[in-house]
Amino acid sequence: MAGGAGLIRRAAAGGLGLLVAAALLAPYAVMLLTALKPEAELRVTPPRLLPAEWRPQNFWAVLRDPEFQSWLRVSLVVAVVSTALVIAAAVPAAYHTARHRFAGRGAFLFLVLVTQMFAPTALVVGLYREFFELGLINTYAALILVNAAFNLAFAIWILRAFFASIPREIEEAAAVDGCGRAGTLLRVVLPVALPGIVTATIFAFIAAWNEYIVALTLMTDAAMRPLTVGITTYVTAYVQHWDLLFAASVIAIVPVVVLFALIEPYLVSGLTAGSVK
Amino acid sequence: MMSRRLLPVLTLLCVIAAVGAACGRGDGKPATIKVVIAEYSRDHTRPFWQDLAEQYTKQTGIKVDLQVIDWNSIDQQVSTMIQNNQPPDVLNLNSFSSYAKDGLLYSADEALSSKTRDDFLEAFARGGTYKDKLYGFPILASARAFFYNRDLLERAKVEPPRTWDDLVQAARKVQALGGGVIGYALPLGPEEAQAEWSIWMWNNGGDWKSGDAWTINSDKNVQTLSFLAALANTHRVTQVNPGKTNRTDGAFQLFKDGKVGMVMGFSPLAAQLDAEGKVHYGVTQMPTNVGTPVTLGVEDYLMAFKKKGNQEAVRQFLDLYYQPEQITRWITAEGFLPVTKTGLARMSGNEKLKPYLDALPSARLAPTTDPVWDKVKLDVQQTIGLAVQPGGDPRQVLDRLQKNAAESGR
Amino acid sequence: MGRALLWLGPSLVLIAAVVIYPAVELVRASLGRYSITGLYQGAVGLRNYGRLLEQEALPTVVGNTVTWVVLVVGITIVISLGLAQLLNAPFPGRRLVRWALIVPWAASLIMTSKLFVWLYDYYFGLVNRALVAAGLLRGPVDWLGDDATVMGAMIAVGVFVSLPFTTYVLLAGLATIPGEVYEAARVDGASGWRAYRAVTLPLLRPALLVAAVLNIIYVFNSFPIVWTLNDRNPGMAHDTMITYMYKIAFKSALRDVGLAAALGVVNVGLILIAVLAYLKVSRWREEPV
Repeated sequence: MAGGAGLIRRAAAGGLGLLVAAALLAPYAVMLLTALKPEAELRVTPPRLLPAEWRPQNFWAVLRDPEFQSWLRVSLVVAVVSTALVIAAAVPAAYHTARHRFAGRGAFLFLVLVTQMFAPTALVVGLYREFFELGLINTYAALILVNAAFNLAFAIWILRAFFASIPREIEEAAAVDGCGRAGTLLRVVLPVALPGIVTATIFAFIAAWNEYIVALTLMTDAAMRPLTVGITTYVTAYVQHWDLLFAASVIAIVPVVVLFALIEPYLVSGLTAGSVK
Repeated sequence: MMSRRLLPVLTLLCVIAAVGAACGRGDGKPATIKVVIAEYSRDHTRPFWQDLAEQYTKQTGIKVDLQVIDWNSIDQQVSTMIQNNQPPDVLNLNSFSSYAKDGLLYSADEALSSKTRDDFLEAFARGGTYKDKLYGFPILASARAFFYNRDLLERAKVEPPRTWDDLVQAARKVQALGGGVIGYALPLGPEEAQAEWSIWMWNNGGDWKSGDAWTINSDKNVQTLSFLAALANTHRVTQVNPGKTNRTDGAFQLFKDGKVGMVMGFSPLAAQLDAEGKVHYGVTQMPTNVGTPVTLGVEDYLMAFKKKGNQEAVRQFLDLYYQPEQITRWITAEGFLPVTKTGLARMSGNEKLKPYLDALPSARLAPTTDPVWDKVKLDVQQTIGLAVQPGGDPRQVLDRLQKNAAESGR
Repeated sequence: MGRALLWLGPSLVLIAAVVIYPAVELVRASLGRYSITGLYQGAVGLRNYGRLLEQEALPTVVGNTVTWVVLVVGITIVISLGLAQLLNAPFPGRRLVRWALIVPWAASLIMTSKLFVWLYDYYFGLVNRALVAAGLLRGPVDWLGDDATVMGAMIAVGVFVSLPFTTYVLLAGLATIPGEVYEAARVDGASGWRAYRAVTLPLLRPALLVAAVLNIIYVFNSFPIVWTLNDRNPGMAHDTMITYMYKIAFKSALRDVGLAAALGVVNVGLILIAVLAYLKVSRWREEPV
């Protein structure tokens, strides 16, 4: 009996899942199809979904463009390093605030949250001045630091929630086994908290990958522009290449999906595997 | 053992370096100048200015920090630079008088050779003058012309209109063709509403200013704006929500799609139409209500910012750009109009540009020489579209614009 | 406390360098007078704040912002709770759905917004075409131009792009709930909706807190969606605080970065109030259980 009901439930879930996936992907399917159209077909009335003339050349044109490759490189470096940095800073902070009551704990968490409330658009002028004084305009370091800081609140808060929900028994067992505080963290807690860390990683990477306004202001040298700033050059006030813009946007999604594919298996929790026993 | 010999060598090197640095700073030449150019097109703007910068560096030994910024962001980026006291040395923008008013700029006497100064076309030089000095050096220009779709007008059996009455007639007949066809595409959205509005306003005998006083809400102007509102709401010969349509992603797109009978355009639009080859279009003068058609001329500017020790460096850079081969090469590539006498002579043979070059003598410029214009322009962009909405009030909108303009002057 | 500094140190340094310094600059800018070019012209105390309160568009903008935040965050959380529940248990094609969920998040907000401007277009947009063909609309609608539909159109996009992040946070939260808890609930006789309300939701509280609070902050400050979708509309009728701030600084007759900075500071205050209000409300709900 359980098998039959389970089957129906799974089929229903499968159907629902398919609908959800279609709804989520539909706009981007349109983007993809638009990227495969030649310039002249972009604006027609009545609008057509499929290209009359298929132009995969748009994608090659973008991929072959050395400028595009440069933007891609910059985005990758900034996103990867800033993500590593934010996780490295957030994990100890989140762990310590999750496990210990200390004077200033509430203040710290609150401060972290409040700093997130300043809109990047408002901070950009001050950031420009600061990094100019430091001589860090047009450097990787500038964007790495900024992106790491901007994503700190999220990383700390979600990691904290995660660490807090891990039963203390696991750590106590480790302490009995003779692990020190840092050792406990590294060898016991982190593996169990992996889903939270993975979530934080995806978030930080995507946020850094798609950041625009600070990159625009701090990276004035064309060779140091990331993707978000670079692809806006396809559409200017007087000349617009919408087909190339959409092709580049589709390509820009790929690295994120690849990263996700690599770490998605770790989203499954180790907790339910009964590590307490 | 090593360090004994190393130390004197290091000291010597330090001394040499210090002397060298002092020498460098001594003659007042900057090591780099910052040049900010607006991005007119992806294919031409950066390559040209990159090339120019390299020539300049070879000539003078001064490096160029070239920044090409798209039009959407350039105001914000420049404002950020100035807020931080890091203005560029050379700036390309579509306004200049506010910067002149703040005392930030070199005048033409200070930053240009006399040969360059004398080469500017009269009207454009005047358009860059503030308090009798030339601060906004013309960099390029464009003029608007009246575009029409030959096929649609033929099908509707109308001629390109010469007067406003003709326009209404023509638009109604084109609109009546059905099938989603639009008579006249009217872009009064925030992108460049002041451009479209200027042309209509002038062709009814109205103007932005009369002498030093703003006349935005003159009776003639109210009449004009009401006429446009009628086009939208009474005759219904425009696209939907003209107060909320921009040119580049709205009116022009519809015209390029072949769905629009008439629109006001300029040479970049013609270039795109030619490239796509979809629409048979014609270019003619603006329809007018006062006998002689008037069109809008727009010039963009190059400005030189006053910074310690950069005057000579900036002068050399500007003179390099204003050499006839250089400036003509770039303006031709981008599809715009010349601003110098030598440039005009070289480009007058260009067939594609003929309608705009012919229109140049009768082209009028916006009052860019008045710093208040920078605010008025934005005000018009943000609010004039409200007048042509159903239930919009042209007089009220113009009264507010007038009020804001008058108050900004103080 | 010294120990704490060791663990918190890197975070504090990052925050101090990247946020505190520019935040101080922002406050300083709000106390200054600036020319239209951005040139600093002296300190004027709190005058900018006073002028801010006199702005005609302010009440509309604040109202828009409240609507925008409440609806986007609210709708996103409700749908995400469902999605997370769906994705928590295995079913054929679950992998595909999880991958599909990443895409709206992976694509940049600017590009997604530009895409939706196309989709919503009166003449060239596929939304009109699809809805008219399906018989749900009699004629095309100017989604981004018609005052009645602009906000709804923007909110739809806001929800669409917020779903992935929220769902994944809630999924992470669900993953921490051990299977034994559901077993215990079933043994007690609770199942389905009752089990969800009594067991799952309370255990999801930490994840919900993170999702809601962070969403409130991000949606409040979300610039690209409103800016891009509202781009063709004159006036400030549909702006939120953040786009209004940008317009004050660069795109309106005011061109006043001092005033914009004041708005930026006030904005932080508003977000603070919103978050505190949320925290208060959500703690309140703890009692009855």
